Amino acid sequence: MISFINVKCTFRKNAGVKKLNFSIDDGEFVFLTGPSGAGKSTLLRLIYMDLFPEKGKVLIRDYDSSSIKDRDIPLLRRKVGMIFQDYQLLKDRDVYQNVALALYASHYKTREIKSRVYSVLNQVGLGHRVHHKPTELSGGEQQRVAIARALVKEPIVLLADEPTGNLDPRVSVELINLLNKINKKGTAVIVATHNYSLIPRVPGARLIQMNEGEVTSIT
Amino acid sequence: MTILWFLFKEGFKGLIRSKYSGVFSIFIITISIMIVGLGYVAARDTLFMVENIKAQFDVDIFIKQTAANDDIASFEKKLAQMEEIEHLGYISPEDAAVKFKKEFGEDIFDILDYNPLPPSFTIRLKPIYRNLISVEAIANILQSDPIVDEVKYRKNFLIILEKYQRIILFSVLGIFVVLTVISIALTSNSIKMTIFARRDIISTMKLIGATDLFVKTPFVIEGTLEGGIGALLASLIIYSFFYLQNTYLQSFFDYRVVVSYRFYIGLIVLGTFMGLVGSRRAVKKFLD
Ligand SMILES: Nc1ncnc2c1ncn2[C@@H]1O[C@H](COP(=O)(O)OP(=O)(O)OP(=O)(O)O)[C@@H](O)[C@H]1O
Ligand SMILES: [Mg+2]
Repeated sequence: MISFINVKCTFRKNAGVKKLNFSIDDGEFVFLTGPSGAGKSTLLRLIYMDLFPEKGKVLIRDYDSSSIKDRDIPLLRRKVGMIFQDYQLLKDRDVYQNVALALYASHYKTREIKSRVYSVLNQVGLGHRVHHKPTELSGGEQQRVAIARALVKEPIVLLADEPTGNLDPRVSVELINLLNKINKKGTAVIVATHNYSLIPRVPGARLIQMNEGEVTSIT
Repeated sequence: MTILWFLFKEGFKGLIRSKYSGVFSIFIITISIMIVGLGYVAARDTLFMVENIKAQFDVDIFIKQTAANDDIASFEKKLAQMEEIEHLGYISPEDAAVKFKKEFGEDIFDILDYNPLPPSFTIRLKPIYRNLISVEAIANILQSDPIVDEVKYRKNFLIILEKYQRIILFSVLGIFVVLTVISIALTSNSIKMTIFARRDIISTMKLIGATDLFVKTPFVIEGTLEGGIGALLASLIIYSFFYLQNTYLQSFFDYRVVVSYRFYIGLIVLGTFMGLVGSRRAVKKFLD
């Protein structure tokens, strides 16, 4: 489903990723770890094609980074859900609107938007928080809104960049359990994290370790 | 449908959220459209008055005393066939004497014992020929006829009229262009501020797979609304001005403003257009 073939993508001073070769299959759960600056975020950005390789190519289902047209990038992103350490919710909109936005942007009909948003909010355990603003929610709840927003388009893969970075250990574990539950329903999940203690929480997860822009070990 | 409604609401919300910059650009568009609208009516009515004055502009053709009646008759025929002429009048020496008495209160025969006044024609040109170039050309042609003594018209008067016409026309056009540019620039600036204030939603939208059009449209709608609302306000103000003038002040100024609904529609279209162009410019510059 996702293949990196000889991917090089660097910034100034040669920082970035240097030569990545791996693939991830449908429905897998993958942890991506490594020290700060190893290139984890860069790798994820290559998947949702916020960055493009200088050498090699990234394949996501039928999309090829070396030939994708600008107007197809939104279509790719509807198949790839993303969550971030800082949640990136819109602070002046309530939970419902934050999640619904993803569907409006993907041209769904009003009625379908409503039923999908409610069902996904129940799925992440926020059915009772529909009309709260993000500022009225705890960090864990905000991250769950972000997950709902990513999930509502029924993506083939969910990318999480340091999703527990701002959460305490107990809430972090809850969040990983939620991601695991989502993965069991068939969505592939890729979690970039420093938090090694989370890894054993997902039995059978693959582990990709990185350092200085290269994969050092892969299971 | 859902998506259009969503984008419209987003644009409208954006306008409300933008507060000062939005209100400011609406205000500027209102002022611009008011000046353009009032300037247009003032220019139109002044030019109309000038045309009216020109309509009374006559060319006199004096015939030589020695001309034979037959020659005068064939000359008249020739004039009657000229397509530039709207109205043609013949003044015989006797008519001229009557006119002289009317104008100066004295009988020419009391002063002289013969009638020195020559026969003449008075012609009025069709409106499109009532300008200096045409009048001069026609006068030259007529002057070349052997029976014509002199062709007279108020040349300086025509020069002045045409000068004023040009001044009015160009100042109105100049004002129009300057205000259009200012309005577009200010809408553009207001939308730019909105875009910077809404960076979060822009990047989030792009992240969740919104197309370019989906991201940009609300900003364009917001700017277009600013233009439309500004122009609507201006139209209302101008309408009240005219209403006041026509109902209460007409007796003071002896002037009645007549404009059709098309005038107001034109103003609103103009304002909307300014908003549209301004916001598209901002979106092109800051969202690509
Ligand atoms: N936009 C950029 N411009 C310049 N250099 C960048 C940019 N983004 C990342 N880098 C560099 O690329 C390297 C990899 O960065 P990346 O963000 O992928 O690391 P990371 O593994 O996600 O680190 P962290 O765990 O701190 O999030 C770093 O050395 C970083 O400084
Ligand atoms: Mg990172």
